[in-house]
Amino acid sequence: MNFKPLLAIVKRELRSVTRERTIMIAIGIQLFIASFSSVILVGLLSFYDPNTIAQNSQARIQAGIVGDQESPLLGYLRAGNVRPIYFADPERADAALDQGLIDTVLYVPPENTAEIAHMQLFLPEAETQSTIVMMMLRKPLEQYENYLRRARGIEVRFTDLEGKPSTSYEFLYATIVPILMFFPGFVAGSMVADSVASELEHDTLETLWSAPISLAHIFGAKIVAAMVLALIQIALWLVLLHFNQIDVQNTVNVLFLAVVVAGLNAVAAAVITTFLKDRERAQFIYSLTIVLVAGGSALIGRSPITLLTQLATNDYYASGVDVALYGGLLLVVAAGYLLFSKRLLGTKI
Amino acid sequence: MLNFRLILTIARRELLRVRSRFQGSARSMLLLVFLAAASLSYLAWQKGATVQMGVYRVGVSPNGPVLADGRFITTTLDPIAGFEQLRLGQQDLYVEADRVIARDDDRSQYALGAVKQYLAEQELIRLSENYAPEEAFPLRITVQENSVTAVVRDGLGSGASDAADAAAVDAGLANMGLSDFDLAGEDVFIPSLSEPPIPFAQVIIAFLYVMPIAFINIFFTSSFMQEKLDKRLSVLLSTPARPVEIILGKMLPYLTFSLISVVVMTLVLGGNVGAALLIFVPVILFMFAIYLMVPLFYRTFKDTTFISMLAVTIITAYLVFPAMFSGVNDFSYLSPLTLAVQMYQGEMFTLEQYLFATVPIVSIFSFALYIGTRVLNEEFLLGFRPLTRKLAQAVYLAMNQKRPFLSIFFLALCFVPIVYLIQLVLLAVSLNLPLQVALIAVLLASVLVEEVAKSVGIVVLYQRKAERPYRRIFTLALISAVGFLVAEKLLLYLSLSVVSEAALSTAIFSGGLLIVPLIAHFAFTSFVCVLNARWHVRYPVAILAAGVLHVTYNLFILGSAL
Repeated sequence: MNFKPLLAIVKRELRSVTRERTIMIAIGIQLFIASFSSVILVGLLSFYDPNTIAQNSQARIQAGIVGDQESPLLGYLRAGNVRPIYFADPERADAALDQGLIDTVLYVPPENTAEIAHMQLFLPEAETQSTIVMMMLRKPLEQYENYLRRARGIEVRFTDLEGKPSTSYEFLYATIVPILMFFPGFVAGSMVADSVASELEHDTLETLWSAPISLAHIFGAKIVAAMVLALIQIALWLVLLHFNQIDVQNTVNVLFLAVVVAGLNAVAAAVITTFLKDRERAQFIYSLTIVLVAGGSALIGRSPITLLTQLATNDYYASGVDVALYGGLLLVVAAGYLLFSKRLLGTKI
Repeated sequence: MLNFRLILTIARRELLRVRSRFQGSARSMLLLVFLAAASLSYLAWQKGATVQMGVYRVGVSPNGPVLADGRFITTTLDPIAGFEQLRLGQQDLYVEADRVIARDDDRSQYALGAVKQYLAEQELIRLSENYAPEEAFPLRITVQENSVTAVVRDGLGSGASDAADAAAVDAGLANMGLSDFDLAGEDVFIPSLSEPPIPFAQVIIAFLYVMPIAFINIFFTSSFMQEKLDKRLSVLLSTPARPVEIILGKMLPYLTFSLISVVVMTLVLGGNVGAALLIFVPVILFMFAIYLMVPLFYRTFKDTTFISMLAVTIITAYLVFPAMFSGVNDFSYLSPLTLAVQMYQGEMFTLEQYLFATVPIVSIFSFALYIGTRVLNEEFLLGFRPLTRKLAQAVYLAMNQKRPFLSIFFLALCFVPIVYLIQLVLLAVSLNLPLQVALIAVLLASVLVEEVAKSVGIVVLYQRKAERPYRRIFTLALISAVGFLVAEKLLLYLSLSVVSEAALSTAIFSGGLLIVPLIAHFAFTSFVCVLNARWHVRYPVAILAAGVLHVTYNLFILGSAL
C-alpha cells in the first residue's frame, strides 16, 4: 500500500472537519461532559456517598435529645460529631429547634429488649439542612441498632471493618473515566459513517477513486482521520481529568486503548455503511451495535471497559500486552475490511 | 387551521419510505441486531445482570465468605500465598475466614471499603433470613411532621403502625437487591436499611426510555436529509402542504413509535401507563425539537455528526443530569425523568412539579416547531453559508417583517427557556473552575447569553435595512426587554413554587426589583443595538461590551443585597 495518497486524504478529511468549526462543537461537548463528570463527583456523590462528607468535612451538628438520657446512643452520637443536648421538657426542644439553636430532635424511648424500639426524629424545615442531619445521624444510628441487636443476643459480623468509602472511587473509575475515554471513539465511528455515507450518497466516490488512489486508500484514510480526531479529544480529556485532580494511572496505555477502541468503532461503522450505503440505516445499525457490544462486553471478563478501569487504577495484572491484543484485533479487522471493501461496496442492497 | 388529512398523507408516505429502507438484506441485518439484543437481554436476565467491573482483586481463604459481586475478582488462596500476594500488590485484600486484611495504600483501602459495604449487606440478608423482623431490625425511626410536644406529651402519631414497620423492612430489603425500584417511601425507616441507593434507578430509567427515542430520531432527521438530497423535498414544498403540515406529517410516525416504546417500557417495568405518558410526551416532544435542528442547520454530512452529538449532549444535560439528583435536591425537578423516578417509587407528583418540569421543554418544542415552519424553504435549506449566518437567517425568517414590534416581543419571550437551558449548562461547566473564577465566569457567560437573546432579533432586523432611526431602535429594545423580563419572571415564579427558598423569593418579587431590571435590560439591549446598527461595531464586540456592563451591574446589585 502506498502511504502518500493515504496521508493526503487523511489531511483532506481533517481539514474539512476543522474548516467548518464543527471541531469547536466537538470540543465544546468535551468540555461539557468533563464538567458533567466533575459535577457528579463533587455534588452527587457527596449525597450518595455520605461517608465521604462525614470523613472529609468537619461538620458538626447539635441534636436535642428527649426521653432516655442514659442511652448508649449518646456516646455514638458524640463519636460521630453530633453533640447531644438533653431536654427534659419537649416544649423547650420545640423552641430550640424553631430558633435554629439545635439542628434536630430525637426522642429516645427507654430501653426494653422485649419490644421494638420506636424512635422519633424531628427535622428542620429546610431540606438541605435535613439532608445533612440525616447524613450525620446515619452511622451513630446504625451503631445503636447493632447495640440493640446484641442486647437481643444477635451477633453481627464484620462491623469493625473500616476502609475508605468506595462508591465514588468505583463510580469514577468504572463508569466516568471509561465513558470519557470511549465517547470520542463513539463519535469517531459516527463520523466515519457520515463521511462514507456522504461519498456514497453524493456519488463523489467515483471522482475521488482515480488511478493513484485506491478504494482502500479512501476508506483507510477516513478511519485514520477519525482516529486522529479521537486521539486529540482523548488527550484533551486526560488533561482535563488531570486538572480536576482525577488521577489516571498508566496514561499512555489508557490513551492507546481508547484510540484502539475508536479505531474498532470506526471500522465497524465503515463496514456497516459500505454495506448499507446510506446514512440513515448505517447510523441506526451502528448506534445499536455499539450499545449492544458495550452492554454485552460488560458480561464478559476483560472487556475494553474493564481493562480501562484496571489500567486507570493500576491493577497488577493489566498491562500494555492486553492493549496490544486489542491493537492486533484492530489491525486484523481493518485489513479485512480494506481487502473486502470493494466487494462489500458491490453488494446490492 | 391544520389540514389533518394532508398530515396523515405525509405520515403514510413517510412510513412507506422507512419500510422501503428495510427490505432484503438490510432487513435481515436489522433482524440480526434485534435478535442479538434480545438474546443479550435474556442472558443478562439469566445471569442476574452482574456487571463485570473487576475493580478489586481479593484473595479469599478456602473457608472465607463468598464475594459474589462484579466489582471483585476473587482468587482462592491459602493464607501463606494470600499474605504474600497481598504484600506484593498482586491482591488488594486478603480475606481469611472472618478476618479481612488490607494494606495501607489507597487501592487496598478502597477495596476494604467495598468489601465492608458488601459484607454488611450480606449480614443484613443473613439476619433477615434467620431471625424474626422485630429481632433482626429492632430499631424503627419515624420521621415526624408534628412538633416534639405534640408527639411526646400527647402521643400524637407516636405509635407507628405495624403495617408501616413491615413495609419499611420489606422496602429496605428490596432496595438492597435492586430488584425493583421500590424505595422506602414511608416515614418509618430503619438505620441499617436506609443506605441511599446509588442512582441506579435514574440511570436505568433514563437509559431505557430515552435511548429508544434517540434511535427513532435517527430516522426522523435522516428523512429530511434524504429528501433534500434527492430533491423530493422541493416537490413536497411546491404542493399545497404547508411547512408545518410537512414537519408534523413527517414527525407523526416517529412520534407514534416513540409513544409505543414508552408504553411497552412502562408495561415491562410495571409502571403506571397513564402517568408515564403524561411524563414522557413532553420528553418526546423536546427530543424531537432538538433533533429537528439537525436537518435544518446541517450543510455537510460531517456537520450532522457534530450537530447530532450536540443534540445528545443537550438531552443528557437537560434530562438525565438533573434527574440524578432526584430525592436529593428540588433542582432535580427540572427534568421530567425525576417525575418518572418518583412514579416508580410509588409517589405521586404535584401539579407544580409537573409544570416546572414540562413547561420549559414544551415551550422549546413549540418554538422549535415554529422556527422549523419558518425556515423550511428551499433557499434556506440548500444555501451553504457559515453556521452563524445560517442561524441569523433563521432568526430573521422567524420574525414577521410587517409586525416587527410583536415579533421582537415574542422572540424575546421564546428565547428565555433556551437561555435558561444554556445557563444551566454553563453552571455545570463552571464547576470545573476554582470557585472565585467560576463565579465571575458563570456570571459573565450567562450575561452574554442573555444579551444575545435580547438583541439578536433587532440586530438581524436592521442588518438588511439602510435606515436605522434611533427612536425605533430604542422602542424595539424596550419591547425586547419587556418580553424577556416577563418570561424570565414567569419561569422564576414557576421554579420558586417548587424550589422553596423563602428568602430568595421575597428578594426577587419585592417591587423595586421589577422596575430596576427592566431599565437595566432595556439599557444594555439598546446599547448593543446602537453599537452594532449605528456605529458599526461588530456584533460579538458589542455583546462583550454590554456583557461587561451587565456583569458590573449584577455585582453591584449583589453587593448591595448581601
